[in-house]
Amino acid sequence: MNMLNPILARLNKMPRAALITIGLFFALGTFAPWLAPQDPSTQNLLEAGLGPSAAHWLGTDHLGRDTFSRLIIAANTSLVSVGSVLGAAMTIGILLGTIAGYHRGWVDDLLMRVVDVGLSVPSLIISLAVIGIVGPGYWTMVLALALAWWPMSGRISRAVAVSIMSKPHIEALRVLGASPWRIYFGHLLPGTIGSVMVYATADAGTAALAVATLSFLGLGIQPPTPEWGQMLVDALPYLESDPRQVLLPGLALTAAVIGFNTLGESIALNRIPKPLTRRMLAIRRAEVASWSKENSDA
Amino acid sequence: MTQAPVLKVENLQTRFKSVQRDKYVHAVDDVSIELYPGEIVGLVGESGCGKSTLGRTIVGLEKASSGRVLLDGVDLSALSGAALRDSRRALQYVFQDPYSSLNDRQTVGETIDEALVIAGTRSPEERNRRTKELLDQVGLASAVSDRHTRELSGGQRQRVAIARSLAVNPRVLICDEPVSALDLSIRAQVMNLFLRLQKDLGVACLFIAHDLALVRQAASRVYVMYLGKIVEHGPSQELYDHPSHPYSQMLLASAPEVDPRIEKNRRGPLMIGEVPSPTNPPSGCRFRTRCPLAVDDCAKALPPSRVLSPGHTAACTFAGDLHRGKRSALLQQEVSAA
Repeated sequence: MNMLNPILARLNKMPRAALITIGLFFALGTFAPWLAPQDPSTQNLLEAGLGPSAAHWLGTDHLGRDTFSRLIIAANTSLVSVGSVLGAAMTIGILLGTIAGYHRGWVDDLLMRVVDVGLSVPSLIISLAVIGIVGPGYWTMVLALALAWWPMSGRISRAVAVSIMSKPHIEALRVLGASPWRIYFGHLLPGTIGSVMVYATADAGTAALAVATLSFLGLGIQPPTPEWGQMLVDALPYLESDPRQVLLPGLALTAAVIGFNTLGESIALNRIPKPLTRRMLAIRRAEVASWSKENSDA
Repeated sequence: MTQAPVLKVENLQTRFKSVQRDKYVHAVDDVSIELYPGEIVGLVGESGCGKSTLGRTIVGLEKASSGRVLLDGVDLSALSGAALRDSRRALQYVFQDPYSSLNDRQTVGETIDEALVIAGTRSPEERNRRTKELLDQVGLASAVSDRHTRELSGGQRQRVAIARSLAVNPRVLICDEPVSALDLSIRAQVMNLFLRLQKDLGVACLFIAHDLALVRQAASRVYVMYLGKIVEHGPSQELYDHPSHPYSQMLLASAPEVDPRIEKNRRGPLMIGEVPSPTNPPSGCRFRTRCPLAVDDCAKALPPSRVLSPGHTAACTFAGDLHRGKRSALLQQEVSAA
């Protein structure tokens, strides 16, 4: 219990509603296959477009698939894809960022100009370009989004790495004659990963939205895998006759994105140097807005 | 001194690019110093005079723009990569701030263990034994080993930092104001620790400080630095009793007195004016802009070092007169003020 107390105290300071939403999202996403009451892919055209009932708690879609099960499985799809996108993007970003922060000089200049280019092109355009070249598919989507995402984490990693490298305890290691490998892998990388992972939480909402957007456009997760953005597209023809089909996945997605954003911002504000966070949060808010605008335009 | 110096710094120069284009800050300008085995040498001067930069350049934390650092006769500037790291290990640095010089994520044991690993101690049992021994040497109980460094007090942290430096068996310890971040009550303890270690282990120690009393107590010789240059150097007793550079005289006289009655009757502010910018140092003697004795010739050329007594030199035209007490920068100041 003593071990838990600091964690509990920290959790208490976070926005409670966001914490519950994200907790639920993680729980549903992780245990989805066991939680879904019915097979999300079983079609039954005789029961198509039905409202909530004892058999289908949240009704069925246009092919008679159980909406509740599909929503839960979609949480799993979203969790896995967001996880792999951020995982891939953070890996590239942290590696290049720490290398730039370690070496400084021309290596730093070169890598940061590459980051600048990456940041100046809207991430949706980068993703669309990659998918346009490679063709739509699950792993293409992950790759495309990771390529669009890494510059941001690269920039943050570099800032964190530079501040760690200038600390006297790293200088002390250099005076002791520690090898560059020891300094990089033993001290710089672990320190950077910790801080940048915090930022990743703040980014998860945007990534979830991006996955949904690409799936909505038919460029991301392909049917029959349930996914929120794709469920929205499927339900779009019935928007006027049966708004329930559109509202439910829309609400689920909105809750997840708002939850991640609120939680991420509260964590980031506490853990990462203030001026940097402020700038990053402003950029990310604009980013979220641009993705959702894309969604409504499409 | 018949022994060969363990550390010899020859004409060392460190400059930084200034914010202004094509200008350089000459933090350390043509400095030569020597350290003999097992002695404590003080390096004093105002803040910003380059004494920390000199220390950092010697251990390689700053890049020297010219000059040489010889350790046991080996020119470190000729080495690079692993060979440089191995040779320079005999040269250790104790940081001013014991809070940032230790990694908060590590325990005391891990901190010292890592230094031992870096120094090439393979067997874990041997490292364990050495860790205990080192902690004992700096006066810490071996139970501290499992504590995180963030749980320790400033004095304890500085002891850990010293133990870490000693782990690699240094020949020279460069201490950059090692006690000025500590509480007054802890200072004496850590100072005594330094003196004891120097006596027991025979490590030579360059003691960078602005606390003149501390240096007088600890050091056998003293270098006085002003604006990137050594202006005076000599045995500490001799230098404290007969300071022979106007700057040293004023620096020593400006140290506050313990006795309030003496303190009250002291002559007014002794140091006049600001330290000139090291980007644009004065021509000739660098102290001339603040020196009460300055004459026109001081602006023309750098005054040569004058040997006043064995081992005591000062870079001032009037050093001889000042040393014999015929003139004084302090009296001169009163005359010019009147």
